[in-house]
Amino acid sequence: MVGLVIVLFAISVLVFVIFNVIPGGDPALRLAGRHPTQENIRQIRKDWGFDRPLYVQYGDMMERLFIKRDLISYQDQTPVLPTIERGIPRTLALAVGAAVIWLVTGVLIGVLSAIHQGRFLDRILTVLALAGVSIPIFWLGAVLLYLLTFRYHSWAVFSWVPPGGYVPFATSPVDWAEHLILPWIVLAVVSIGFYARVVRASMLEVMNADYVRTARAKGLSARRVLTRHTLRTCLIPVVTLFGLDFGAAVGGTVILIEPIFGIEGVGQYAQESVAHLDLPPLMALTLYGAFFVVIANTIVDVAYVWLDPRTRIE
Amino acid sequence: MTVEAVAVPGGRGGFGLAWRRLRRNPAAIISAAILIAILLICFPLAPLFVDLACHHGPNDQNIQGYIHQGGHRIPVVGLDGTPVGPGLRSCYMLGADANGRDLAVRILYGGRISLFVGITSALLCVFLALILGLVGGYRGGFVDSVIGRLLDLIWSFPVYLLAVALATTLAVGGLSVGPLHVSSSSLAIPIVVIAVVFVPYVARPIRGQVLALRRMEFVEAAVATGAGPVRIMLRELLPNIASITLVMLTLIVANNILVEAALSFLGVGVPVLTPSWGNIIEQGYSSIVTAPALTVAPGIAIMVTVVALNVLGDALRDALDPHARIRIR
Amino acid sequence: MRRAALAVVLAAGLVAGGCGGSGSGSGGSSGPPAAPVNGGTLRAGIPDNPDYLDPGLSYTNEGWEILEATNNGLLTFKKAAGGEGAQIVPDIATAMPAVTDGGKTYTFHVRPNVMFSPPVSRAVKPSDVKFSIERLFRIDSGGLSFFTGIEGANAYAKSRKGGISGIVANDAKGTITFHLTQPDGTFLDYMATPFAFVLPAGTPSKDISTLPQWRIATGPYRVSSYTPKQQLVITRNPNFHQWTPDSPNGHLNEIDVQIGVTPEQSVNEIADGQLDWYFEAVPPDRLTELRARYPDQVHLFTRNNTTYFVMNERRAPFTKLAVRQAVNYAIDRNALVKIFGGQGTPTENIVPPGFGSAYKPHHLYPHDIAKARQLIQQAGVEGANVTVWGHNTDPTPKAVQYVAGVLNQIGLHATVKTEDESVYWPTISTQKGDPQIAFNDWNEDYPEAQDWFDVLLNGEHIVNVGNNNVSNTNIPAYNHMIDRAKRMPLGPARNAIWAKLDELYMKNDAGWAPFMNRQWPKFVSPHLHGLVFNGTYFELFPSMWLSQ
Repeated sequence: MVGLVIVLFAISVLVFVIFNVIPGGDPALRLAGRHPTQENIRQIRKDWGFDRPLYVQYGDMMERLFIKRDLISYQDQTPVLPTIERGIPRTLALAVGAAVIWLVTGVLIGVLSAIHQGRFLDRILTVLALAGVSIPIFWLGAVLLYLLTFRYHSWAVFSWVPPGGYVPFATSPVDWAEHLILPWIVLAVVSIGFYARVVRASMLEVMNADYVRTARAKGLSARRVLTRHTLRTCLIPVVTLFGLDFGAAVGGTVILIEPIFGIEGVGQYAQESVAHLDLPPLMALTLYGAFFVVIANTIVDVAYVWLDPRTRIE
Repeated sequence: MTVEAVAVPGGRGGFGLAWRRLRRNPAAIISAAILIAILLICFPLAPLFVDLACHHGPNDQNIQGYIHQGGHRIPVVGLDGTPVGPGLRSCYMLGADANGRDLAVRILYGGRISLFVGITSALLCVFLALILGLVGGYRGGFVDSVIGRLLDLIWSFPVYLLAVALATTLAVGGLSVGPLHVSSSSLAIPIVVIAVVFVPYVARPIRGQVLALRRMEFVEAAVATGAGPVRIMLRELLPNIASITLVMLTLIVANNILVEAALSFLGVGVPVLTPSWGNIIEQGYSSIVTAPALTVAPGIAIMVTVVALNVLGDALRDALDPHARIRIR
Repeated sequence: MRRAALAVVLAAGLVAGGCGGSGSGSGGSSGPPAAPVNGGTLRAGIPDNPDYLDPGLSYTNEGWEILEATNNGLLTFKKAAGGEGAQIVPDIATAMPAVTDGGKTYTFHVRPNVMFSPPVSRAVKPSDVKFSIERLFRIDSGGLSFFTGIEGANAYAKSRKGGISGIVANDAKGTITFHLTQPDGTFLDYMATPFAFVLPAGTPSKDISTLPQWRIATGPYRVSSYTPKQQLVITRNPNFHQWTPDSPNGHLNEIDVQIGVTPEQSVNEIADGQLDWYFEAVPPDRLTELRARYPDQVHLFTRNNTTYFVMNERRAPFTKLAVRQAVNYAIDRNALVKIFGGQGTPTENIVPPGFGSAYKPHHLYPHDIAKARQLIQQAGVEGANVTVWGHNTDPTPKAVQYVAGVLNQIGLHATVKTEDESVYWPTISTQKGDPQIAFNDWNEDYPEAQDWFDVLLNGEHIVNVGNNNVSNTNIPAYNHMIDRAKRMPLGPARNAIWAKLDELYMKNDAGWAPFMNRQWPKFVSPHLHGLVFNGTYFELFPSMWLSQ
């Protein structure tokens, strides 16, 4: 817990310093608009506190972020935290939905590969899995969106695909799903490969392990051996890997995919804030992302110990 | 995610065996061939193509020009700004972009930059990770703890936000550290940023490997004979982590090419006048509807290269340690 | 200058006949449009929050578009398109003001029954007008410079005490008088901008955009609810009654603005019939397709704009006139118009064509690479390093790359630098950051050439921070001509000076390389009619109507 706080503190200082060092990012100039008088700018510096020493400004920003909760963006002077709060369910909807798809598909492909190890199906699935991981995610999203909502939109099978945006679940579950299916697929495609490979390797390891061979020697059918004995152990690395990946996805990858589909979750907010060099939302989002990653890592460490019976014996 | 292969130390004999296994893997052969082909096309063959076939380079703009095809005169860029699309001709084979530049030529030259950035940043990343992993894993204790915390800090920072923050700061005014002066449009900036951001990813498995090896007898023996730590790290440990390092290197090159594309998409990758696959996509994306080739073609180039690298890396891992136990930490 | 808050401005198409046009009939049938229908709700979209809903603060197209429908000032620009839209007519004032005292005193009579919306619900008084102008000084308004010519304004700006002595409001007689320190013909233009729109006395000295009880309207509409980043609803002002033909009643009942609609989304949603109208222009990559598929739904509006590359005369190699002229010879303006999707007309002039006799086109710099190269050589700056700057919003990066390519062709060594728009404008307007050559554009704040010359080229207005004279042009003789013209009343004599200055600056200074007057394409629902584009207020909500 102390480690978490230290890491977050270090990150917040790093972000603050980086974005105050950039020339041209002077927020007073930006806030003053295009016809400022010297007086305007001086006044803005005073009102917003840009004339105070850096560490005072840092403290004030932290206070507004955590305690007073009224942090305001430089770009359009709107409150940062409500925008983030609005964005979190959207990002989670995207990440969780995609995660379900990539987990199920990944495990399936991995198991199939392992069973048919060395044979044609294995090789093909390997290449497919690796191909998915090799595609730039934003490119895949952009190209699919173009093909399905423009080029081939008139085809009946694609005519329902919406051109982007997000509909809250409460408004219409069907629309919500329709708007998310393509982003889910895109986010899943680039993640399936890892899982498939890990499950495959893990299964191979376990399938060759002594206790499985014993079970088979005792006459248990292949299927029973597979499902009961090997699958559970195989899932251990999957779970740990998933924890890290999900943390990384929510904390990071969504920045590339949300702007393409106009989902307006925290990822898109991050991308816009970065483009505008807008420090207050960036600070909040970076800490939020880092928090997620660290928590995910911690949970994974704990879960690994708990799940793997071998480590418990040790 | 971190994946580590714990190898049985087998010295140099292991590589010969691995090479034979690799040769027998068709996927590996094909990907290696593809990679070699890409390198050949982008580096020596590209200028030949320019000189012999189409006579204009990647940055030669030709907005008011015309293509003569089949008796027709087609404007390179229409009055409404739409560039010509792909066609069977030597010039503007894949069409042009909004500035009248030849897309095929840009992809060739862009490949140079993307590959250069990917490979150099991977080498730099692995180099740094080796140092940190070796020192941390071997010394242990306080040093290891400090290194570990530093790596954790970098790794906890959401990857793209960190990369963008660093790249933006450096790109705005360039960097002046003592005698070292880097201009803001230098390639060194994306290279260094990408390398640094992924050091923790590579250093962790290396460190884990070093930790495991450290307890082994041959290291104890070396210590007993009075060898200094540097010598042990270079002579005993380094050869034994060579296999995992090599595997990680191929995977990191693949990863870095993708990251370069992503950073260019976010606007902080390779500076705009030098074409790279990533920034060609970024510039073409806004006109994906009227000129889809601008977005699709460089993406396919990236995909083919990265798949080949990943398949090769995967095959390498299989070849070096076919019965390796994969432990996830 | 105002900008679009998110500039996805794109240029017009090939087809002539889009000059401030109004909507045509719906897609299927041909025939003249039916008579306006009252009622209906316009479903609108905007990419982000408007900068402000406070007339004292808003300085963007989106903000002014909304405020034009909700608020009024003593004067207004005629609610029409093209050159007609540059005429100034009375609004809350009963008539154009009496100008006395050698052009230093303006006296207005305030109409008696212009009502503020609920909860204020009373008639506008002259003291409200005085209050609103003084408030500008208390809130650091971006439009302050328009009103510093009033006697006592500068003193008030410093002390914030006692009001502005030069504004005399007489509620009993219903008059308000402005005393200026010097004659200023442009004062009438200033009074027609939203900065001079009237708010009730007592309005707080801070941004009232999110304070519904202080978003008081005088016009046919009012902003009844505003949730930033989500939605903005404009409904009818129950206290409004039309008082002149120049203050239209409005046909629509309601305008629902969804905030956060991206340009791409807007195109798809308007095509699907889910959205009627979008604040921003058509994204460049969709314009060709849309003009082909929905010709009746794409409108091209002419606005008063000059798009140009500006050269900093204080930084080598642009300290030399020959080099600046070389740039003007080297760029092919038609090629640049292509980069902007053909949505504009090429120009070499500083002043845009919509300014009547102030615009006299000249052709001093025909496209000539050889001549440009020669000038560079003669100036001895071959091989000089030049960085061409621009912002990231498409297609500006392409234009910047084009110019860099051209500079390389004529013997310089050019590279490119782009930045996000929100930091780009502040960067090029500080002396420290002011680059050698940069993309720039200028849209009118008010439709008069002074808004170009005095702001952008008058050497007396060069400052260190917030500098709009990015070229740092300072020619005392021309500065005097600008100052002289400012004092003159609006009309042909004044315009003649502007036209002369246009030629003089381009010939003898060439701090600019103007290349285009950019047009503004919009894609709208087939049911939307009555689109009138005014150069200052943009599209006028009160003239829009929906058919079914």
